[in-house]
Amino acid sequence: MVMSHVVTSKDGLEQIAARFNARQKEAKYHLLVCAGAGCVSSGCHAVKNALLAALEEHGLADQVTVCETGCIGTCDLGPSLVVQPDGVFYTKLKAADMGRIVTQHLLGGSIIEKLCYFDKEKDERVKHLVDIEFFKRQTRLVTGRCGYMPFDSIEGYIASEGYFALAKALSEMSREDVIDEMKRSGLRGRGGGGFPTGVKWEAGYKAAGEQKYVVCNADEGDPGAFMDRSLLEGDPHAIIEGLLIAGYAIGADRAFVYVRAEYPLAVERLQKAIGQAREYGFLGDQVMGTDFRFDIEIRIGAGAFVCGEETALMASIEGKRGEPRQKPPFPFEAGVYGKPTIINNVETYANVPLIILKSAEWYAGFGTPGSKGTKVFALAGDVQNTGIVEVPMGMPFGEIIYDIGGGPQKGKRFKAAQTGGPSGGCLTREHLNAPVDFDSLRSLGTIMGSGGLIAMDEDTCMVDVARFFMEFVQDESCGKCVPCRIGTRRMLEILERITKGQGRESDIEVLQELAITCRETATCGLGQTAGNPVLSTLRYFRDEYEEHIRHKHCRAGVCTELMVSPCQNACPAGVNVPGYVALIAAGRPRDAYNLVRKENPFPAICGRICTHPCESKCRRAQLDDPVAICDLKRYAADYVFENEEPYMDLVFPKKPESVGIIGAGPAGLTCSYYLARLGYDVTVYETQPIAGGILAYGIPEYRLPKKILAKEIRMIEQAGVTIQTGVEVGKDVTFKKLRAKHNAIFIATGTQFPNTIDVPGEELEGVYHGLDFLRDVSLGKPVQVGKNVVVIGGGSTAFDAARTALRLGADKVTVLYRRLIEDMPADEREIQEALDEGIEIRQLMAPVAFVGKKTVSGVRCVRMELRGFDDSGRRKPRPVEGLEFVISADMVIPAVSQHSDLPFISKDEVEVTKWGTLRVDADSMMTNMRGVFAGGDVVRGPDVAITAIADGKQAAVAIDKFLGGPGTLNTGEPIEIPMPTDEKEVVEHERFPLRLRDVDTRKTSFSEVVIGFHKLNAIAEAMRCLRCDRR
Amino acid sequence: MELHTPTCQCGEETEEARRARVAEIIDEFHAQPDNLIQILHLVQGIYGYLPLDVQQFIAERMDLPLSEIYGVSTFYSFFSTEPRGEYTIRVCMGTACYVRGSTKILKRLSEMLDVAVGSTTKDRKFTLEVMRCMGACGLAPAVSVNGEVIPQVNPDKLNRILEMCS
Repeated sequence: MVMSHVVTSKDGLEQIAARFNARQKEAKYHLLVCAGAGCVSSGCHAVKNALLAALEEHGLADQVTVCETGCIGTCDLGPSLVVQPDGVFYTKLKAADMGRIVTQHLLGGSIIEKLCYFDKEKDERVKHLVDIEFFKRQTRLVTGRCGYMPFDSIEGYIASEGYFALAKALSEMSREDVIDEMKRSGLRGRGGGGFPTGVKWEAGYKAAGEQKYVVCNADEGDPGAFMDRSLLEGDPHAIIEGLLIAGYAIGADRAFVYVRAEYPLAVERLQKAIGQAREYGFLGDQVMGTDFRFDIEIRIGAGAFVCGEETALMASIEGKRGEPRQKPPFPFEAGVYGKPTIINNVETYANVPLIILKSAEWYAGFGTPGSKGTKVFALAGDVQNTGIVEVPMGMPFGEIIYDIGGGPQKGKRFKAAQTGGPSGGCLTREHLNAPVDFDSLRSLGTIMGSGGLIAMDEDTCMVDVARFFMEFVQDESCGKCVPCRIGTRRMLEILERITKGQGRESDIEVLQELAITCRETATCGLGQTAGNPVLSTLRYFRDEYEEHIRHKHCRAGVCTELMVSPCQNACPAGVNVPGYVALIAAGRPRDAYNLVRKENPFPAICGRICTHPCESKCRRAQLDDPVAICDLKRYAADYVFENEEPYMDLVFPKKPESVGIIGAGPAGLTCSYYLARLGYDVTVYETQPIAGGILAYGIPEYRLPKKILAKEIRMIEQAGVTIQTGVEVGKDVTFKKLRAKHNAIFIATGTQFPNTIDVPGEELEGVYHGLDFLRDVSLGKPVQVGKNVVVIGGGSTAFDAARTALRLGADKVTVLYRRLIEDMPADEREIQEALDEGIEIRQLMAPVAFVGKKTVSGVRCVRMELRGFDDSGRRKPRPVEGLEFVISADMVIPAVSQHSDLPFISKDEVEVTKWGTLRVDADSMMTNMRGVFAGGDVVRGPDVAITAIADGKQAAVAIDKFLGGPGTLNTGEPIEIPMPTDEKEVVEHERFPLRLRDVDTRKTSFSEVVIGFHKLNAIAEAMRCLRCDRR
Repeated sequence: MELHTPTCQCGEETEEARRARVAEIIDEFHAQPDNLIQILHLVQGIYGYLPLDVQQFIAERMDLPLSEIYGVSTFYSFFSTEPRGEYTIRVCMGTACYVRGSTKILKRLSEMLDVAVGSTTKDRKFTLEVMRCMGACGLAPAVSVNGEVIPQVNPDKLNRILEMCS
C-alpha cells in the first residue's frame, strides 16, 4: 500500500479532485466508451481498441483521453461512444468506424451524422446526447456518472463529488444525524418492498449487540431487470460509499455484497473498486483516518432466485442452502450469523451519498409526497427503446412507455406492462396516466419491485404471461413450505391446461383461491407473491381467461394449441389462411377460393376491402414483410371468375322452417347463405334498391366494383336465398307481420346514419355527410361536388369520400384529422393511395365551426396537441388555445362515425345500449325478444365487414340451434391441403409486387385502383408463407 | 463460423493434482463453512461439475457432513452433480421455433448423438438441452452451441454443426 494515497479529510478529496480535473483539462477531447454489459457483449472492447489504435496512428494519444464508462442505458444501440466536451453521442459503432471519428470529428471538427442516434419518430439524426428524447425526459441522479465518468477510476469518482458524503458524515455528523437525514429524505427501499430506509437503519442502530452487519442485496433475479447490475458495473464506488455510510450509522464494521453468479462483470468491477477504496483509506481499520473501522466482502450466489429474499440471502451468505425462514425475528434483530443486520438493495445504497451530501430536503424535492427521489427502471419488451432509464417518482406511466420508450414497435398497440417481476402485476392501457410510485402501483394491484418494466403489445397473451411467471416461480420455489411448493405446481398445471384448450369452468375460481392461500400461508415473499401475476392478469384480463376456457380462443395468437395458425386465429371468420395460401402456391386457385368460401361467402369482396387482421399476426413479419394474404385471396377469386364456370353449392334437403333477415349487408347475407345451405327457407329484406348494404353504397366502385359484388351475391341467391330489395320493414311490411311469417328473425341493419360532429354551421349548404355522400354517388343520384373539398375524419369513410370527391372533379381535397396520421383507423395502403392521388392530409386539426352565410365557405379549425392518454391507450387530442384559423372550402364532408336506428321496433319492446345498438346475448345472439336475433354493426356499432361476416355465421349457428338443429354449418366437402415437405432454408424476400393502375388515369375515373397479382407473383408470394399450421 | 471451445483444459491433470488444488482452495478459505458456496464454485471450475467423491473429500476436509455439501450443491442451479459435455447444444423451444419445426430438430439431434434430452453423451462431448425463447424468432428455428446462436437450422444443417464441434 502506498501511504500517500490515503485520504483523511475533505481537503484531501479536494486535492485529488483538483489534480484529476487539471489532467482532464490538458486533453482536448474525452472519449467515453459505454462499457455496460450490453455493450461489452456487442463488442465495445474491439471498438475501444480500434479507437486507441486510430488515435495512436494520428498522433493524438496525448491530447485525447479514452475511458470506459458505466451503462449509458441505451443497451440496444451499443457499442456507443460519447465525445466530450461536445456532448456528441455515437451509436451502433463498429471498429471500422473509429478511423473516421478520429479524422473527421476529432481532427476535422465535423460530426459524423450517419453514426449518430436516429430518432424514428422525428425521422432525423440527433447529434447530441442531451437532445435525444430518451435522455431528455430522464432525471439522472444515481445513474448520473454513467456516460460522464470512467467507472474504474477512484479519482474520477472523487472528482465528481465522490466520497465527499462519507467525509461529511464522518467529520460533521453524528450517527443519529445520519439516520435523521435519511429519515427526512423519505428514501424508500428500492428492492421492491418500499420500506423507509431511515426507519430500517434506526432499528439497526438501536438493536443491541457489539457485532452488526450491513448487507447489500445484489441478487437481482427478476427476469427482465438489470438496474442493479448497471449500477454495480457503472458506478461501484457509489455502492461502497453508501455501504460505508450505512455501516457508520448503525455501528457495523463489516459488509457483505451478495452478487448473483450471473453477473461476473459486476463482481470483477466491484472487487477492483473495493481494492482502490482500501488503497485510498476508505476501507480498513481507520476509515479516512478516523477510528471507524469498516470492510466489504463480496459473496457470490450460485443461481437461486429465492436468494433475493432477505432471510434466504442471509442463509446463502452463511454458505448454506438458500432457504428462507419465518420473520420475526427480523434481520435487524437477528440477521447474518444471528447478529443485527441491515439489508438494502444496490440502488438504495447508491442513493445514500446523494442524500447525505446534498441534504434530505434537496432529495425530497424529487418525486411525490409518498415516494421521494427517482427510480431506475430496466425498460424491456415491446418498446422501441429498451435499456436503463431513471425518472422522478410519480412520472405518468405512459410517459415512460411512450416518451422515453418510444411506444410499441411496428405500429402495434400497447397492451400492458409487467412491473415487479414474478411478484408483481401488470398495468394496462387504462393506467397510462397513472403516476408511477410505490403507493399508486400498489393501489393498482401491482408493485414497484426492483424496477423491471416489461412492456407487452397486443401480440401478448395474458394467460400465457401468467403461465410464464408461474413456471418461473414454480421452478425457483425452494420447496421448504407446502403452500409454495405444491400451490405453485397446481397453479401452473391449471394455467398450462387453460393455454392448451383444456380449461374448465371452475379453473378461474380455483386459481384465485390458490393464489390467496399462498399469499396467506407461504413462508417467504416468493411464495406469498407467487400468485400475484395470476391475480393481476385476472383483474384486468379476465375476459381473456374466459375466452380460452369457453371458446378455446387466444386473441393474441400465442397459445398455439388453440389454433391452426396465428393468421387463421386472427380472422374473425376463422378462414384457413395457410390452407388457401398453400393451395395458391400449389397452382390450385379454384380450391383456394372454395376453401375460403367454406368460412366466408365473400372471398372476392374481402380480397379487396378486408382490413386483414390476419396479416398483422403473420409470423413472416418477424423476418421481412407479412405475407400479402388479402391480395392472394383476391387473386384466387379473380382467377376463378375469369377462368371457370360458376358452380352450385351442396344444399341440404329443405326444412319446413323459414327465417326472415332484415338488411342485405355482409352480416345478413352471410347468415342467409349458411342458413339456406342447411335447408332453411330464407328471405332477406332490403330497403335499398340493391343488395350489399354498406358494401354496395358505402364503398366506391374503384375499391369494390359493383360487378364483383353482384357476382358473389348471386352465388348466395343460387344457394336458395330470396332477396327482396326495395322493401322497407316498418313501411312496406310491418315487423309484427314478419315475426308471424318467419320462425326466426335476424336483424342486421347496420349503422346507416352519419353522426353529426356538433359544430355550428353543420346545416349550411355544401356540408354533406360522408355516408350520405357515398350512398348518393353509388345510387347514381345527382351530386354537386365542390372545387375545394374538406373532409373531416380518419377512417375508411373519410378516405372513400375524399377520393370519390377527387374523382368527381374536385380540384383540391384536404383531409383533416385530430390525431396523427399513424393513428388513423383507415388502412395504411388506402392512406398512401390517397396521398399518391394528391389528397392533402392535415393532422392534429379539429373543426370548431363551419363558416359561411348560406353556403359553406370554410372550416374554422383549431390546432390540436396530444397530451396524456385515453382509456383505449391512445394519446388524447386537445385544442391548443389561440391556434385557430380558417381553411377555405366550398364543400365540407364530415365523416366521423355512424349510428343505427330501428324505426320498425318500438324502443320499449327491445333492449338497446346507450349507444342505440341492440343488446344481444353474447353466445346465442338473441335479443330479449324470443326468436329475434341480431348481429353486425347494429349490435357492435361501426365496425368492419369481416366482423359482420363472422357475426352472420355465428347467428346462423345460433338460429339453427334455436330451430332445433345441431348448430353445425354445412360448409361443403373437405378440401385436401398440401403439406410442406421441403426443409430448405427460408430466404429473406419482401412482398412480391402487386399491379396498380397509374395515378393519373385512376384519379379521373372509377376504374379499380388495384389490378392484382400476376400469376407468377401470386405463386411466389404464396410460397413466402412459413406454414405456421404445420406441427 | 467459429465456435468457442470451453476454457477448461484440465483433461491432462491427474486426479491427485486436482485434489491438491481442491485442498488448496479450502485452505485459502480457512475451511470456513460460510465460504462453502465460494469453494464449490472454484472446485466446479476444476472438474467441470461436482462429482460425489469430490464432495466427500470437501466434507472431510471442511469437517462438515456430506449431506450438507450435497444439500448445497443440489440447491443451486449453477452447480451440477453430473458431468457436462464439452459442447452444450440447446434447441430453442420458443413459439416461433416450435412452429418452425424445432421438435423435429431436437428429435434428430437426439438420434444423431444417441442421447436423451437433458443428458450428456457417453464421450462427454455433447450435452443436449432445450431452452425457452432466446429471442431469435426471426431466425427460427434456432439452436445455440455453447451460447452461440445458429440461425435457421434444418435437419441437413445439423451434420455441419456437429462437424464444427470437432
